Amino acid sequence: MIEGALDTLANWLMRADAGIGLVLLVGLSMSASHLFALLANRLTPRQIAMQLLLDGLILSVALLLAALVNMLMLGLLADAVVRPSELLDRMGAALIPGLFYVLVAAPYISDLIAVTLWFLIHLNVITLLHARFGLPYEQALLLATPGFVLALLLVIGLFHQSWQAGYRRLASELEPLEPH
Amino acid sequence: MPSRSAIRNQLSWLRRLYGLLAWLLLVVGLAVVVIASRNGVQLLRLFSGRDLSALLKLLGVLALLLIPISGIYSVASQYAFWTGWLGGLPQLPQRPAEGSEGRDQTTTDLGESPHSAIVYLDGIHQSERDHPPRVSAFLQELETRLPPDIRLLKGLEAYTVTPSRLLDDVGSGWFWRRVFALQEHHPNALVSFACAFLVQANNVIKVGISSDRRYGPILNYELALKVCRRLSETGLWPDPTGQSGPRELVLLGYSGGGEMAMGMADYLRRLCRCPVRIMTFCGVFSGNQLLEQVAGITQVVGSKDPVAAFGRIAYPGRLALLPLSNWNRALRRGQIERVSISGMNHNGARGPFSERYRPVVAAAVVNALTAAAAQHA
Repeated sequence: MIEGALDTLANWLMRADAGIGLVLLVGLSMSASHLFALLANRLTPRQIAMQLLLDGLILSVALLLAALVNMLMLGLLADAVVRPSELLDRMGAALIPGLFYVLVAAPYISDLIAVTLWFLIHLNVITLLHARFGLPYEQALLLATPGFVLALLLVIGLFHQSWQAGYRRLASELEPLEPH
Repeated sequence: MPSRSAIRNQLSWLRRLYGLLAWLLLVVGLAVVVIASRNGVQLLRLFSGRDLSALLKLLGVLALLLIPISGIYSVASQYAFWTGWLGGLPQLPQRPAEGSEGRDQTTTDLGESPHSAIVYLDGIHQSERDHPPRVSAFLQELETRLPPDIRLLKGLEAYTVTPSRLLDDVGSGWFWRRVFALQEHHPNALVSFACAFLVQANNVIKVGISSDRRYGPILNYELALKVCRRLSETGLWPDPTGQSGPRELVLLGYSGGGEMAMGMADYLRRLCRCPVRIMTFCGVFSGNQLLEQVAGITQVVGSKDPVAAFGRIAYPGRLALLPLSNWNRALRRGQIERVSISGMNHNGARGPFSERYRPVVAAAVVNALTAAAAQHA
C-alpha cells in the first residue's frame, strides 16, 4: 500500500512542472509564518513589509542551497549527472507543501504543522530522486538528508534570532520592575 | 498615550493586515488546489457536489485550514496591543509608597488590609465580565467560607487582553454581535449550542496562545498588566509589607482559566512584587511556564473529569515522559499539591458548579489556602 502511494507520488512529481518560481513563493510563505516575531520586535508596518520580503528571499536562497547540496551529493555518491536547471525545476514541485508554511504562525499546533510540512517536503525530494535517477529509497534518503538538514537549520536559525530579539524587548520592559 | 487619530490610523492598518492575511491564505490555498487537481474540470466537478466523498474531503481540508487561520487571526489582536496600537499597553499603577493616590475609594471602604487577594479566572465558556448563574453561586459559596482577611476578585475577563467583552473586541466584534443576535432571535438548542461552541473555540485558541512558547510570554504579560490594573481599581494592589494591601496573590483558575493563571503568575509576581500562588480546579493547562518562583500550586481535580485528564495528553510536558519539563521540575521541587474529589466531573450535574460539588470544591480551596497561610506563618 505504501509502495503504491509512493509510486503515485513519484508519477505526479515527475509530471508536475511547478517551476523554480515556486521556491520564492515558499520562501515568502515561510517568511509570513513569523510575521508575529516582527510585531514582537515592534517594527513599523513599512519595516515589517521590507523584512518579510527580505526574509522571504533569504529563505528562498536557503532552499536553493539545499537543492544544490542535493545535486552535489548526487554527483559525488551516485555518479549521476544532472543539469542544475532540471533539478531545480523538479525541486519546485517537491516544495509545494511549503506553500502552507504560513500556517505555522498558528498558536499551539504550529510544531505539528511544521513537522508535517517538513516531512512532506523531504518525502517528496526522496521520492523524486528515486523516480528520476532510479536510486533505491535508502540511498535517496542518504543523499537528500544533508541538504534537508541544511535548509532546516537555516530556517530555524533565522526564526530563532527574530524571536530572541522580541523576548529581549519584553525582558527590557520587565527589568525596571524587578525588585532590587 | 497616542492620539485618537493615530489610533484610528493604526486600526485601519490592522484591518488591512487582517484583510491581507485572509487574501494571502485564500490565494495560496486555491493555487495549491488548482495545481493539485491538474485541471479545472475536476475542480468544478468537486464543487458541484456530485462526488460526495471528494466534497467531504474538500470540507475536511477546509476545516484543517480554518483552525490555524482562526488561531493566526486571534494572535493578531494580541500583538496589536504589544506594538502600541489600539491605545498601547496599559500603564502599571503606581505603588502606594511611590504615589500619593495609590489606593482608591474602594480600599478605604474595605477596612483592614487583607492577607491575600484571590483573582478568579473563569473557564472557556466566559464571554463577558458577568459570570453565569452557576459560577456566581459557586463564587458566593466560596466567599462565605473565606476567612475575613482573604478577598475575592471576580468578574475578570480571562481571555481578552483588554477589559472588554467579546462583543467589543476590535477585530472580531462584528462577528460576535451577529452570533449573539442570532442566539437572541432564535433561542433554540441548536443555535445555543453553536454559539457556545464558537465562544469556547475562541477561548480555547487563547489558551493555546498562552501556552505557546513563542506567543505566550507577550500575551501573559499583557494579561498580568490587566490584572494589575483591576487590582489597583478595586483597592487590592498588593503590598508585601501588608500595610496597604494584600501580601499575597492567589490565582484561582477553573478549566482553561488554570492555564491563564499559570501563564501570568510569574509576571504578576514581578509586577506586584509579592508572592503569587496558583490554584486550579478541573484545570486544563500546559505547565510549561515559569513556575520556579511561584509560591505554590494546588490542583483540585475530579476523579471523573475527562477534560482535565485530556489536558495531560494535549500538553505532553505534564507527562512523566518528559522529566525536564517545567511542570515536572516543579513537581520534584514539591511545589505542587493535588487534591482529588471523588466522583466529580468537569461540568454539568456532577461538575464543580453543581449543587452537589459546589461546597466540596469551595471547602477544598479554602482548606488549601488556610494550610498555605499556616505554613507561611
